[in-house]
Amino acid sequence: MPAGAPPMIRLEGISKSFGTVQANRDISLDIRGGRVKALLGENGAGKSTLMSILAGRYQPDRGLIRVDGREVRFAGAKDAIRAGIGMVYQHFMLVAAMSVAENVFLGQSQGFWRTPRTLEARVQALAERFGLEIDPAARVSELSMGEKQRVEILKLLQRESRVLIFDEPTAVLTPRETNQLFTALRQMTRQNKAIVFISHKLNEVMAVADEIAILRKGRIVDELAAETVSSRAELATRMVGREVLLEISRTEVAHRQVVLRVAGLSGRNLKNVDFTLRQGEILGIVGVAGNGQKPLVETLCGLSRPEQGTVRILGQSWKDFFARDVWAGALSYIPEDRQGLATCGNLDLVDNFLLTTRNGFTRGPWLQKDRAERKIAALALDFGIQPPDVKALARQLSGGNLQKMVLAREFFRRPRLIIAEQPTQGLDIAAIEDVWQLLLRAREKAGVLLVTGDLSEALALSDRIAVMFDGRIMDIFAPSDGPRLAQIGLLMAGIQPAATTEPASVPPA
Amino acid sequence: MRLRVTKRQEPLGWGACLVFFGALAFSLAVSAALLALQGKPAFIGIRLLFEGAFGSRWALEDCLLKAVPIFLCALGVAVAFRLQIWNLGAEGQFALGAIGASWAALTFPALPGSYLLPLMFLAAALAGGLWGLVPAVLKLGLRVNEIIVTLMLNYIGILILEYKVYGAWKDPGSFGFPMTREFPAAAIVGNIGATRLNWGLLVCLGCGAAIALFLDRTRLGYELKASGENIRAARYARLPYGRLVLLVMALSGALAGWAGCLEASGSLHRLQPTIMAGYGYTAIVVAWLARLNPLNIGIAALLLAGLRVGVENLQLDLQVPAAFGQIMEGLILLTVLAGNFFKDYRLRWREPDDA
Repeated sequence: MPAGAPPMIRLEGISKSFGTVQANRDISLDIRGGRVKALLGENGAGKSTLMSILAGRYQPDRGLIRVDGREVRFAGAKDAIRAGIGMVYQHFMLVAAMSVAENVFLGQSQGFWRTPRTLEARVQALAERFGLEIDPAARVSELSMGEKQRVEILKLLQRESRVLIFDEPTAVLTPRETNQLFTALRQMTRQNKAIVFISHKLNEVMAVADEIAILRKGRIVDELAAETVSSRAELATRMVGREVLLEISRTEVAHRQVVLRVAGLSGRNLKNVDFTLRQGEILGIVGVAGNGQKPLVETLCGLSRPEQGTVRILGQSWKDFFARDVWAGALSYIPEDRQGLATCGNLDLVDNFLLTTRNGFTRGPWLQKDRAERKIAALALDFGIQPPDVKALARQLSGGNLQKMVLAREFFRRPRLIIAEQPTQGLDIAAIEDVWQLLLRAREKAGVLLVTGDLSEALALSDRIAVMFDGRIMDIFAPSDGPRLAQIGLLMAGIQPAATTEPASVPPA
Repeated sequence: MRLRVTKRQEPLGWGACLVFFGALAFSLAVSAALLALQGKPAFIGIRLLFEGAFGSRWALEDCLLKAVPIFLCALGVAVAFRLQIWNLGAEGQFALGAIGASWAALTFPALPGSYLLPLMFLAAALAGGLWGLVPAVLKLGLRVNEIIVTLMLNYIGILILEYKVYGAWKDPGSFGFPMTREFPAAAIVGNIGATRLNWGLLVCLGCGAAIALFLDRTRLGYELKASGENIRAARYARLPYGRLVLLVMALSGALAGWAGCLEASGSLHRLQPTIMAGYGYTAIVVAWLARLNPLNIGIAALLLAGLRVGVENLQLDLQVPAAFGQIMEGLILLTVLAGNFFKDYRLRWREPDDA
């Protein structure tokens, strides 16, 4: 490529917000032909929003997109495809009952009258050119996930897309299929295609990328050439960041009885997890997403049973604890997915409040709605829920207010064990501070397990920090433990530093 | 200028009423056009339809009589739909209810009315409720789709009814017609005063009020609503989903069963195949039109009963085929459902981009 030529794609000052949440702030990015650009960042960092803007699905609030130096505006995905930009989504959009070749040519009228044989031959030639192994006559319903993904890629290549965006492409692939994908990506770059690779898996980014852009909280915090990155640990640290966004004052609370004891928990990608949690403390579980946090939380909250090892909650075995339906003074789970799991969008605040507290407002067969309504109205004022209208539907609330509503409800149950999963994800600064204060106050009565991908949050709130990698707990230490804290990047990347080889968990006092 | 579709943040409130009646008017207009296409006078046709349905005391009574089974079936269907359990089996549950009631009336003809009628209602509720439980158990135990099972059980239920009236229960004095003997006087729900309406109307009102109270005021009713809204949240909040499925299907079946009981006892005074007039299917339309709200179900049931009665008038006066009523029923459902789009979205004109 001649020097000085404009890059294939240039994003300039892209900003996009949804309500009060800024998904992208002033992002500028160049994408060049023949290169693999990795977009690295945690869930909610803004990667998918940015690429959906490039693929024409969203329109940016500010900023512009240049293709070959010329400014373009996309009103929809069709415009982007015409400009040679295509995206392979996590959820494939294929017609299961049709053959591979038919799917590749779907929606393209000029191919309508061709015989299946000529279509298949064309797909075969295209697949061979890019090293994508596929049988063009096979039905899509009979394909593996990896093969389906290849069909999606072929769709884009057939339309002569020059920029191919992959959104977490390896999430559904086997290791062998992942390797085949990477080989194909190389093949594509050799033919001057530009590849954008969205991921939060460090080793994959290291393996495939030429350039790496790191997103955090909607901004590009770092852009570097892959060959200058010396270790996964370095990437991990840059990705989760450690700058303190908020100063929060915390008073020490005495640690009392054990509310949660996990010993040798294995299965569902967990490997021999051990820890204890006491009333009065916050234990922060940090790590790159997808390293066992999800199965751990689901097991502790009763959504899936432990396969191996023991879990004791408030002194009871897992089976005994979840066999009884105790609504108050027990376990509160504040899930990451507040819209889909913690609330019902089409119900009002009273009904959403009753979701987990209904046992407290029952007399005989009747539900005491009036009493519940007065209670949630009072809580809405206490917790600063905006608007304080209890007849508002949950989906009308902003993310921060919905989260406050969930916290108000869950704290009303006077829990002794709280499991909070990404409690401030997607919230604005003011809401984050409120949620942090609430969690700190809650630990006076409860033990809090805080699962977060945001290291600064874990550092601000936790009494102890546990680092998870690949289903294991790498180490547990206090945030004041400077030397160990300095190695947190290594731990998150799965490297056990030589200096700290003592047992990972803190023995119960 | 381009049309732009955006999602409404605020619920529509009273505007929703306007959308409903607008859709209704639209479906009437299309029906009138269909009449005109057949060379019939369209406006006279629509007027005849209304006169036939609501224009006289006789017509109104007919309307109310037909609304009773539709209302009860729709009430049951709506309870199941609240939980997003797609019970399309009201027709079969209605048949089983009629069979249960007839069994009681034919087996204990000597009982006094104060025992026999409650026994008939009990038998109808049991038969209909158990018929409704079959798809629920299959769904929970074997993950069989309830839409298909309830639909297919309709045919089985109707065949059982025919098997009985063509066989063991056939009246020897019916000259070979498939019907049972007339029920004893004690097994017949009496008429209200000098009208042709029977006390089944009161059963309807009672059931409607009870279901409204159940859905709105009881804990189980709340659990139904929440589970139906978001099944993942139901799991999160440890709502007893399986038990709720069994409950709604049994309740749904029992209500349809009562409709069958009233139809046999109050209107026909015997069991015969013509009892299967498709009320169970109309009930599905009614439940949707009413957006599952008990009071609205009353209004919608009356409306569609009126349509059935009015089309009879149209058949006589304009020689329109009987299927015209079903066409109109379908049209009303489709337009109202399509109209719901305007409750969730708003349309705006947008200037074209200059780019």
